[in-house]
This record gives sequence, structure tokens and C-alpha cells, in this order.
Amino acid sequence: MKVNQLAWRNLWRNRKRTLITAASVFFAVFFALVMRSFQLGTYEKMYSDVIQSYSGYLQLQNPSYLDEPNLDNGFTVDSVLVSRLEKDPNVEAVVPRIESFALAAAGSRTQGVMVLGVEPESESKALNIRNRIVRYKLTPEALEALKGEDLPSRLGKNFELFAGEAFTEAKDMASILGVGKRDTASLLPVLTRHTAYPGSYLSSGETGYAIIGNGLSDYLGAVPGDTIVLMGQGYHGTSAAGLYVVRGVVSMPNPEIDNRFVCITLDDARWLYAAPEMATSAIIGIRNSEEKELAATQERLREVAGDELAVRNWKEMNALLLNQMEADNKSGAIMIGILYLVIAFGVFGTVLMMMAERRREFGMLISIGMRRGRLAGVVGLEMLLIGLLGVVAGVIASLPVVFMGHARPLRFTGEMARMYEDYGFEPVMPMLLPDTYYLWQVVVVLLILTVAISFSVRKIFKLNVINALRA
Amino acid sequence: MKVVEINEVQKTYHDTEVEVRAVNGVTLSFEKGDFAVIVGPSGSGKTTLLNLIGGLDQPTAGEIIVAGHRLSELKPSELIDFRMEHVGFVFQSYNLIPVLTAAENVGFIMSLQKWPKEKRMARTDELMEAVGLSDRHKSRPSQLSGGQQQRVAVARALAPRPEFILADEPTANLDSKSAETLLDIMEKLNREEEMTFIFSTHDVRVMKRARRVITLEDGKVVSDVRTNHSA
Ligand SMILES: Nc1ncnc2c1ncn2[C@@H]1O[C@H](COP(=O)(O)OP(=O)(O)OP(=O)(O)O)[C@@H](O)[C@H]1O
Ligand SMILES: [Mg+2]
Repeated sequence: MKVNQLAWRNLWRNRKRTLITAASVFFAVFFALVMRSFQLGTYEKMYSDVIQSYSGYLQLQNPSYLDEPNLDNGFTVDSVLVSRLEKDPNVEAVVPRIESFALAAAGSRTQGVMVLGVEPESESKALNIRNRIVRYKLTPEALEALKGEDLPSRLGKNFELFAGEAFTEAKDMASILGVGKRDTASLLPVLTRHTAYPGSYLSSGETGYAIIGNGLSDYLGAVPGDTIVLMGQGYHGTSAAGLYVVRGVVSMPNPEIDNRFVCITLDDARWLYAAPEMATSAIIGIRNSEEKELAATQERLREVAGDELAVRNWKEMNALLLNQMEADNKSGAIMIGILYLVIAFGVFGTVLMMMAERRREFGMLISIGMRRGRLAGVVGLEMLLIGLLGVVAGVIASLPVVFMGHARPLRFTGEMARMYEDYGFEPVMPMLLPDTYYLWQVVVVLLILTVAISFSVRKIFKLNVINALRA
Repeated sequence: MKVVEINEVQKTYHDTEVEVRAVNGVTLSFEKGDFAVIVGPSGSGKTTLLNLIGGLDQPTAGEIIVAGHRLSELKPSELIDFRMEHVGFVFQSYNLIPVLTAAENVGFIMSLQKWPKEKRMARTDELMEAVGLSDRHKSRPSQLSGGQQQRVAVARALAPRPEFILADEPTANLDSKSAETLLDIMEKLNREEEMTFIFSTHDVRVMKRARRVITLEDGKVVSDVRTNHSA
């Protein structure tokens, strides 16, 4: 009788217990994986949102700009350096820009804003502000017009909930408003007809236009075609003021940015701040953004940039966001830790019960000449099989969920969506594809099994045969 | 030929407050082919003595020599191998491995000893036949009666041809008819295979069938009688 044969048969002698134990491991692994995938996917999305809409992967900066981000810590753009940086195989483009502060006013309202001066054409090689132009919005007029239409009543409630909401894509609007897949074809034309919002992106060569965040637009009551005033301090204390016509409204993912976002052309910004030829940073558009490649690129560019200018990566520039996510990540890890702790006790309970039940049998086996090591091998293998059954099943069951959740991220609708937005999140929960976090779940379960197995192996080696036989 | 020699053996337990001399100076020997039974009141030390002979426990004093091995000189792991090679055990109950069939149980020790498959199968068949269960090869222990289970246990103990078989109250859980059948089988195997049997019992039926009756009282041998009746 081979060890593995004996273990296999023992597994099925208490079929229910084996299955319940394996099932508890299965559920722990499954939930941990799905939870992790959501969590990590959400971080990924936040990172890529901020990278693509604002910071880019790498920036060229004055070394002191990171700590004191103001115009006085800007630098003069050296076109020779720019073209040398652009020669790097992984660099798509180097796009100078100016980031500064100003007071924005329209009518009787004023708001402190962040002014971004960009080169409209080359900017899109590094960022995607262009894709965030609002094309649909639930303005009061739009809502009024929609009331006149014959629409399903549940939509009416969501219209109230999302009054003022802006959308870039019609399908996002449909999904947030809870228009079912079946109704999309019939309802979408009606929705888009009434909610269509004017506006377009900046183009280089033009002067006197601005793009503003949707939140800011609401606050100032400034819509495309209106004029806003920007007032602030220019380079080395000069005073800065200018009039700009709103060209379009953008919906920025982060509400902090959305409420304070103004974008003008780089030339206008240089003029406004009296800082010709200058930039506060240059976004470096990257072709391959994989972590390793990115680090290598940063290293190469540092060589080229020399000591005068610093090359910063997105992690350095978004330290605050990273910290927040790190804290959130920890709380998630604790949740999963508790989940596994519960499972560990469950597995341990099974082991204890099994050891007690089979004490006599173990005594008999050792008496008739089965070595303790061999017996421990049988019992260890049994537990390993139970654990692996749970892990493998959990991993397999999670795969379709994770792949689905990645390909078609979960979007909240209705009140859930509102709640997410109020907390400053996009109501989307994308999932991260299997990665090292999968490996971790397996490692944790193996760890639990190792403890359980070493416990029972110890028990077997310390078993008093005489007492076991008496029992 | 002496199979087992026991010299001045003592076994003292200190577990409780009081010291219990479970075996208190026993000198005995068993010959090849013995069909011996140890009797005595409950607590007289029968089980303890059998455990000592079988190498399951070490004496506090004295010496036990089995097939040339001084048991006191063997390390715990060597004792396990010693038992596998030289001693057959039959316990009062729960003898069998529940997940194995009757035939696999009979073959179990032989496979621990790495017998080649054909030899093992042949020996299993022979013994299943000898204990009258040749039609129950594939039955699991739970599908067998108590008497049948004990017969399988005897067959398993006997299969690898150990030096002797120790049976601690093998009939205690059996009805008369099953007990008689088991004894018939053991007697037959004692004769045909010249197998030495040493058992303990409270059972008069067993005593009557034995050819040697050793009586223990308070851990001491009070009588050792060879009777003449043969099977
Ligand atoms: N592990 C132990 N710890 C303490 N005392 C023990 C132990 N094993 C046996 N004893 C004691 O040793 C004495 C002999 O016990 P043993 O089991 O050998 O008797 P026995 O003749 O087999 O009795 P029975 O007929 O009831 O099976 C008893 O007094 C018993 O309480
Ligand atoms: Mg006893």
C-alpha cells in the first residue's frame, strides 16, 4: 500500500469533513482573490488616471520644484536638451508646460485655480486631457427637456440624482443613469440629443482661450463661450492678469483637480506670467511604461539631463496619493488577514478532530510496524491534498470573475455611483488581472497548511502507543 | 527452541500518586510452537506483560530477549522495525485499517516489508482461505462482523511469518460461536504453520483450549501449567 494511495482513501472516509474543509479554503481564496483584484485594480486605475490626465510618467523639473512647486522654481526650456532627450528610444515626446496658480473670476464669483499652460498638439502625446472634453451634460435645461420625453420612470429618479453630471462618452452616461443594455439603442439618441454639450479642445496658434474643469465651470457658472478673468502673480513677482474665453469643459477624474482646473496654451501662459521661454516642468511621454523599463529610462534620462534639471517619476510626484493608497492597501490586507485567520482556525479544528478520532488507529499502525515518519507522511499528504483542492478550486473559480471584471469593469449606477463620486472616486471598479497577488494567496494557504501539518506530524512523533491503544 | 526469554522483568508506573508495579519480577520463556494463555484478574498485569514482550513498552528492570534481540538495546525506531519483522499483533478491537479491504489489510505488513507482489498475493489468498474468508477479499472492515474482523487480524499478523503472535483478549468482544471459530483457526494455524501464540484472556473457553496456562496475580506469576489436551 503506497503512502499516497492510503492518503487518498483516507481523504474520502469522512467525505463531508474533507469537502467542508476544502470549501472553507476555497471560499477564503476566492474572496481574497476577488477582493484583492478589485482593490489593486482600483489603485491601478487611480494611478493611470492621474498619470494620463495630469502628471505623466516622467517629468523634467527644476530640482527644487518638487518641494516648492511655483513658477520661480521653473526653468528655461533648452531645445537642444529637449531634442537630446527625445532621442532616447523609449521617449515619445518631451512636452514643456507651465503650472501655476491664479484667481479665476466670472460674473460675481471667484475661485483659486491651478493654471496649466500646454502645447495643445504635443501635449496629447503625453496626456489625454483632449479625451476628457465634456460632450454631454445633465444641465437644468437638458433635464427639463428630458422630462417632456416619454422615458422609463426609474430614469427620472437618476436624472435628479445626477443633475449637473458631465460625460465624455455617451455610453458612460447610459451606464451611470442605469439605462439597461436592451434600452440603450432606443434611449441613447433621445438622451444625447437633449444633453449634448458644446465645446472643444485648444488648438495651438490661437490665443485667448481656456479649457476649464467641470466642477469649476459649475462653480463659476461659466460655460463655453463665456469669458473668465485670471489674476495672479507672474515670474519674480510681476503681476499677471488676462481674459480668456471658455473653449470647452473637461471632466477630470479627481474632483480636487476638477474643481480648480484651468488649461490655456503654453504661449498664453508664458505671456500671462511674464515668463517667456520658461516651463515649470516638461512631461516626458513614454512608449513602454512597464516598471522596469520606466526605471531604466529615468536613469538614462538623468544622465542626459545632468545636474541642472531633475527627472522625476510619477511616484515621486504623487507621493500623497501613493501614501493614501498604501494606507488603504494596508486596511485591505488586514481584512484578508482576518479572513485567513478564521480559515486557519477552521483547518486547525479539522486537524484536531481528525487526530483525536484516529489516535487508536495510529497507535495500532505504529504497533504493527509502520514507522512514524511514514504515518506522518500519509497524514501530511491528506491535509496537503485538502488544502490544494481548496486553493486550486478557488483560483480556478476566481479566474473568470477577474478576467470579466477586467475586460468589462463593474460600473455603479444610481445612488451607489453618486456616493462614489461624492467621496471623490469614479464609480468604476476595474479588476487587476492575475499577478503576484495570486501567488500570495497560495503562499498564505500553504503556510497555514504547513502549520497544521507540522502540528500533526509532531503529534504523531510524540504519540504514546500504549496509551493510544488503551483509549 | 526458545522464542522469548523474560528475566526478572519489572514494570512500574508512576503516573498517579501511588506507584503501581504492574509487572513485578516475572521470569518466563516461550518455546516455538507454544499455544499459551496468560490469565489473571483484571489489573494483574496481563496487558502490560504482553506489551513488554512485543516491544511496545520498555521494562523498568530485567531483560527480554526475542529471537536473539535484547529489546533494551534497541532504539525506538529500531523497535518499530523489530515489531514489523518479528511480532504479530492481534488486539481486542479496532485492529484493521478502515480504508483498506480485507485482503489489503492482510497484505499490509508484507507490503511494509516490501514483499514482491506475487508472493504477497499468494500468501494473502492462502491466509484468507485459512481463516475462512476467501470470498471476502474486497470487503471493507465495516462490512465484516466482529468475528470476521478478528480473523482478518489474525491472518494479517500471521502473514509475514513473525516469530510469534501476541493477542490481548482477542475474543473479548465476540460471541461464543465466533470465539470458537477464531480459536479453531488459531489452533489450526498453530499446528500447520508452527506459529507460536501468546494470548491473554478472561475467557474460560480460551483457557480450555490452551496447552499452557500462565496465571498472573499482582504482576507475579503464580502458576504456569502445561496441559496435555491437544487440539
Ligand atoms: N499507562 C499506565 N499508567 C499507569 N498505570 C498503568 C498503566 N498501564 C497499566 N497500569 C496499571 O498497571 C496495572 C496492570 O494493568 P494491565 O492493563 O496490565 O492489567 P490487565 O491484567 O491487562 O487487566 P485487564 O484484565 O483489566 O485488561 C493496573 O493496576 C493498571 O492500573
Ligand atoms: Mg488488559
